[in-house]
Amino acid sequence: MRGGASRGYATLRRMRATTAEREQSAIHTYLICLAAWAIPGAGHLLLGRIQKGVTFLVALTLMFLCGLWLEGRLFPLEIGQPLVLLAALADMGIGVLFFVARAAGSGVGRVVALTYEYGNAFLIVAGLLNMLVVLDAFDITQGRK
Amino acid sequence: MTSHVGLMILFAWFVSVVFATLMRDDPKQQLRFGAQLLAAFVVGGIALGWILYFFPL
Repeated sequence: MRGGASRGYATLRRMRATTAEREQSAIHTYLICLAAWAIPGAGHLLLGRIQKGVTFLVALTLMFLCGLWLEGRLFPLEIGQPLVLLAALADMGIGVLFFVARAAGSGVGRVVALTYEYGNAFLIVAGLLNMLVVLDAFDITQGRK
Repeated sequence: MTSHVGLMILFAWFVSVVFATLMRDDPKQQLRFGAQLLAAFVVGGIALGWILYFFPL
């Protein structure tokens, strides 16, 4: 009877430990994904994939800056206009850079500029590519890669 | 640099670099796959441009 009870306590302790580990692992995964979103390539850098992380950091940051240089627009979150809303969400995929650029007053977009549409394409695709990079970092934390 | 072809090549270069880095682990394979992607994007873009040339709006 006593042996059974101690086995039960041991099982309970193991279950608690496993739950705690799972929670810790989930928090770790979310933090990695948050870092990967906030700074392009940061997730890979934190996971020890230095070459990939540096490549993403340089390529995506340059792509975003090219979009600003080409006078593209950082779209506002307008619920009433679904396409503008989608473009804004794609723009935000680049993370902190989006908010820094908005705060600095760049990304206003000059519709009459020859490169306006190119600028939008660079900004939007940079954000979308960073979302793919976040998903890749998530896969790495889950042991799929 | 801000010509249509120049910007298309620049755009293709960025996308190729990111996709190659995402999809291949070995740097040599990344370089090779990235070059193939870049060539495919650029040739495909120019080919599509010529096809659309015969269908003006």
